[in-house]
Amino acid sequence: MLKIKGLVKKYGRFTAVNDLNLNVPKGEIYGFVGPNGAGKTTTMKIICGLMAADRGEIYVNDIDVIKNVRKAKEVIGYMPDFFGVYDNLKVTEYLDFYASIYKINAKDRKKICDDLLELVDLQDKRDAYVDSLSRGMKQRLCLARSLVHNPELLVLDEPASGMDPRARVEMKEILRTLKDLGKTIIISSHILPELSELCTSIGIIDRGKIVISGTVDEIMQQVYSKRFIKIKLRGKIAEGIKVLQEKPFATSIREGEDFIEAGFEGNEEEMAMLLKELVMRDIPVISFGQMDGNLEDVFMKVTKGDEA
Amino acid sequence: MRINPVLQKELKIRMRGWRAAGMIGVYLIFMALTASFAMIMSMEGYYRSTIDPELAIGSYTGLAVMQFVLISFISPALTTGAISGEREKQTLDLLLCTRMTPLSIVIGKLFASISQIVLLIIASLPIFSIVFMFGGISVIELLELFGFFIIIAITFGSIGIFYSSYFKRTTAANVLAYGTIAFLCFGTIFLTVLYLGITHDYDFKGVFPLLYANPIVGFASILWEQFRGGNMNFFPGLIIGNTTAAGYISPWIINLLFNIALSIVLMILSANKINPLKKGHRGRFFLSRRGKK
Repeated sequence: MLKIKGLVKKYGRFTAVNDLNLNVPKGEIYGFVGPNGAGKTTTMKIICGLMAADRGEIYVNDIDVIKNVRKAKEVIGYMPDFFGVYDNLKVTEYLDFYASIYKINAKDRKKICDDLLELVDLQDKRDAYVDSLSRGMKQRLCLARSLVHNPELLVLDEPASGMDPRARVEMKEILRTLKDLGKTIIISSHILPELSELCTSIGIIDRGKIVISGTVDEIMQQVYSKRFIKIKLRGKIAEGIKVLQEKPFATSIREGEDFIEAGFEGNEEEMAMLLKELVMRDIPVISFGQMDGNLEDVFMKVTKGDEA
Repeated sequence: MRINPVLQKELKIRMRGWRAAGMIGVYLIFMALTASFAMIMSMEGYYRSTIDPELAIGSYTGLAVMQFVLISFISPALTTGAISGEREKQTLDLLLCTRMTPLSIVIGKLFASISQIVLLIIASLPIFSIVFMFGGISVIELLELFGFFIIIAITFGSIGIFYSSYFKRTTAANVLAYGTIAFLCFGTIFLTVLYLGITHDYDFKGVFPLLYANPIVGFASILWEQFRGGNMNFFPGLIIGNTTAAGYISPWIINLLFNIALSIVLMILSANKINPLKKGHRGRFFLSRRGKK
């Protein structure tokens, strides 16, 4: 659906996007993560034809965005990190205006507006003035606006920024619905745990380059060469540590108040054997398991500790 | 026929609320006061019981001058916030990421403002029609004058849009738009007088070329010809009405052509300025939103 090859964008001597390559298959929700100034918004603007690239190629649904930007805009929906709204315009009029730009006839426009308002749960606000809506509602309306022409690719720049937790959950649900409708979504966000829950793939961008890309699990495997285990015990911590120290596959052993954490370089059979041995030695194991990957840790590691 | 969506939306927004009705009301009050004042002045010392076309000329001139002044002030005011306002409301990018071209956005914005001016002109028709009571001015001549006003409104509106697209702040666009209009109206006269003074060319016949760009000259010329006046020697470099001279073209026609050409150029430059994909645009977003990439 979206292919980016060797994209370069410079502002004077500063290179905002540096030979960026990306491939997002159809139907994916692709999370675009990076510190401020990494090149996320620049890349998104270039994809949407809002900025010229210095070099590179972008294809959306096999349409060359650089050469045929007008045609590409018909299959791209863009939602920036701000919500541009007009005074004195009602919610339905706002959507109708953007729909009319795409030459959709008046009858179809009405149906589209109704459907979109239902999707973003703003049916009861259809006759309200846009500037009277709350921030969360405005953001949902902007998402609806980006969908008026039924685009195949949605480019969402920080769609949940400034939203309260409930509004964020609602936005996530809407995005899942859109995924189910077959839309391909590229989304940038600073709220990393939510991205890891929502996205099918994630790309971390730093200094204009994609430093790592793939599913969350793939990224974890690439970043951490070993797995981590956490064993929660009801006492006998020292004995537990002794057992682990005897095993060559257990590394970086760390003692907690009532748990032990360690790197694990063995296979699953060895992991099962370790648990069995702990139990056989009469060490009271409350829980034993592999630690989940944390996208924030990965982010900090691959972006060399820059701000999220 | 499909109406430009920006024009359609702008008309909806602009005509909603009291502001549009208020503007028409104030405009008509000015026009009515002018008509009354002009009538009173024309009838001063007029003792004949018959109705004389000369009475119409005074009212017509007064109304036309007032209309010209009001349009000169209102047109830029309606357009200087057209593009900068979209930027301030953060809606320009939303328009540019649609399939609309920058030129159609600019044209939609301009014609939304011009539509308001046209509405004001049409609303003033009943006041203008009092001149028909006295005769001397035909409907065609009135329409000719209104056509001239619409072109002037488009020109001044284009100047407003041009500065609006080049400057982020509406205030800066306002100052420069009015400055440019003042230059066209008075600066060209000053430069002409200065040039002819320096070259001691006090016998310049006809209209000095620079003055063809002056809307006041065009306006004076159209009124003068409607009154079927002969030669009018305002000052060296501005002698109008010599219709019998070989090759004479009415200054207002040349002024009209100049205004149309200027408007087209300004529209194209404005569209080019807001086009995010043009070459010279590189770095604009970075400069305006540093640190947010």
